[in-house]
Amino acid sequence: MSFRHIWAVVRKELQHILRDRGTFMLVLVTPTIVLLLMTYALAVDIQHVPIALVDYDQSATSRKFIQQITAGDDLDLFVNTRSIEEIEELLTRGKIKAAIIIGPSFSEDLLALRGLSLQIIIDGTEPETGGFAVDHIGWRAESFANDILADQILASGIPLGSLQPIDLRIRSWYNPSLEPRVDLLPGLLSIVLGFPAFSVALTLAREHEHRTMEQLLATPITRIELLLGKIIPYILAGLVNVIVIPLIALAWFNVPFNGNFLEFLLLSVIFLFAELSMGMIIGVFMKSQSAALALSFLVVLFPGFFLTGIFFPIAALPEMARMESLFLPGTHYAIITRGVFLTGIGLDVLWPYAIMLIFLGLAFTGIAALFFKKKLA
Amino acid sequence: MADKEFIKITNLTRKFKENIALDAVNLTIQEGELFGLVGPDGAGKTTLLRTLAGLLGITGGEVREAGFELHKNSEAVKSKIGYMAQEFSLYGKLSVLENLQFFGEMYDVSPAQQKERIPGLLAFAQLTDFTDRRAAKLSGGMKKKLALACTLLHQPPILLLDEPTTGVDPVSRRDFWNILNDLHLRGTTILVSTPYMDEADRCSRVGLIYEGKIVECDSPEIIRNKIGGEVIKVVTHDWQISREIILPLKGTLEVQTYGEALHILVDSADKRINTIKKTLQKNNITIVEMRVIKPRMEEAFISLIRRMSKTN
Repeated sequence: MSFRHIWAVVRKELQHILRDRGTFMLVLVTPTIVLLLMTYALAVDIQHVPIALVDYDQSATSRKFIQQITAGDDLDLFVNTRSIEEIEELLTRGKIKAAIIIGPSFSEDLLALRGLSLQIIIDGTEPETGGFAVDHIGWRAESFANDILADQILASGIPLGSLQPIDLRIRSWYNPSLEPRVDLLPGLLSIVLGFPAFSVALTLAREHEHRTMEQLLATPITRIELLLGKIIPYILAGLVNVIVIPLIALAWFNVPFNGNFLEFLLLSVIFLFAELSMGMIIGVFMKSQSAALALSFLVVLFPGFFLTGIFFPIAALPEMARMESLFLPGTHYAIITRGVFLTGIGLDVLWPYAIMLIFLGLAFTGIAALFFKKKLA
Repeated sequence: MADKEFIKITNLTRKFKENIALDAVNLTIQEGELFGLVGPDGAGKTTLLRTLAGLLGITGGEVREAGFELHKNSEAVKSKIGYMAQEFSLYGKLSVLENLQFFGEMYDVSPAQQKERIPGLLAFAQLTDFTDRRAAKLSGGMKKKLALACTLLHQPPILLLDEPTTGVDPVSRRDFWNILNDLHLRGTTILVSTPYMDEADRCSRVGLIYEGKIVECDSPEIIRNKIGGEVIKVVTHDWQISREIILPLKGTLEVQTYGEALHILVDSADKRINTIKKTLQKNNITIVEMRVIKPRMEEAFISLIRRMSKTN
């Protein structure tokens, strides 16, 4: 193995990363931007959903109920009307996303402990927002009813302490506290560091597309020298992200970083080696950049979302997908990043994942080298 | 040590699926030859050069190059070869100098040797003033010269050049050939393919490749004479009618058109020139010019190819 050959390719690729705007963006800027976007998209709740109210009860209780429903930032009272026709029109025109109809016997039923006579209409064309409105109306209605119930019990002279109330706490998937989902950010690293893998696939395909491969293959460089020369610069570029992103996480989102940073860098290099060798396999097979890009989305990005346990627990996946997730470097790195950031564990605990990543990296590189022929056809 | 038969190709066959690109090619090139490879598009010129550069596998046959057996180990020979692909294939984002340095590293030219050779090559390729320009920003001719310089840095004993002057202006083309002649004088074995017959004329030997076979291989002079006749150039006011009139005449082997001019291939110019003149005049055709010319590679080439496609 000639280190001169490898270094020459590394230097050329680094020059390319710095001089080609597209590559520069993809490798050094995109990961951070996508991570910021995703963190915000996942962290910030749906807010200020416009709703309409029809109050057929017109009692003190119903007015108190309306007050409680619209007390937060989640639901905004758009109109309080007595006309069902108006509500229908507002719903069709998209001015409101949900409507609450308070029945004429609302306060009567409540005080008689017969439940809540409420009707909720939602805009089914936006199920996400509609579902959110139903959840929040239900949640507020329940606490309203509980308060009334407690008042009733107290009024009847029974001490509250003698009861064993059911302690039901709804943990909202929608993050009602509006805190950024900091626990997701470390896991997202393993997704956004897939972008340098795109570049590895692209850089090999580009040599074919620009015909430079022909000239390169005519030189005495060996396959493994060329492949290493192609992957090392992008590992280095990936490392820039590995350093920048935790700084942003700390400074911007107050994500804790409890582990050892040097160990984290080492583990990240191992992960990048494994993840980027996937890009190398793609680049070996795809002779055009567009095909390489499409396949990268399919092989690197999408499984990163669905199979690495960041959003969906691996235990909940079907058996086949569970097996596949083991062969994705992102699965192991997601565990590593969460462990290092949130729990503060290090190599002493995480070494099995490191070994798995090394194994995957060697296997992927081996496959790439096996199928990479120093021939044009 | 000196292997006089520097490139020896025996029964070389290359198939692409069912397509036979090279059909049992036999060719021997001596050390120091400037060998021209001509043939119509798709005849197999590029396939032959790529195979010799070790870029394509061999379906059958043997190739010995600079003492290496290419059919056994195509990698070993690569350091002995300077290969220049038909299309521009250098790194556009790198400067002229960086491209040279990159290929210098690829061919294990030591930094000291690079430092020593690069200024010479830049001057040779007339690129000294463009050392820091990105390769993508060079003109077509400069790109070709840079590509040649990149293949010369490791001073390969064999140069394989695939249509190096295609798409280059005539002045650059002449510069380029001056460079090749220089290298030829220094003893480099050069195999160059070209679509230009005037370039073929500058080679020490020419191989004509047709449908994957080398059908003629000789010095340009001998190939020119293989045309088997003489050429009369005729310019009239109506070349289309003239052509129809001349073709059926006795002794006319072939009529090739070059713009307004007709090049008539006849068995003997002395015998036929008067008949042609009279026949044209009888048909009220004004003769602007009429004279016997020396057959060029171009006439020979077209004539040979026509004969080939007729026999098929």
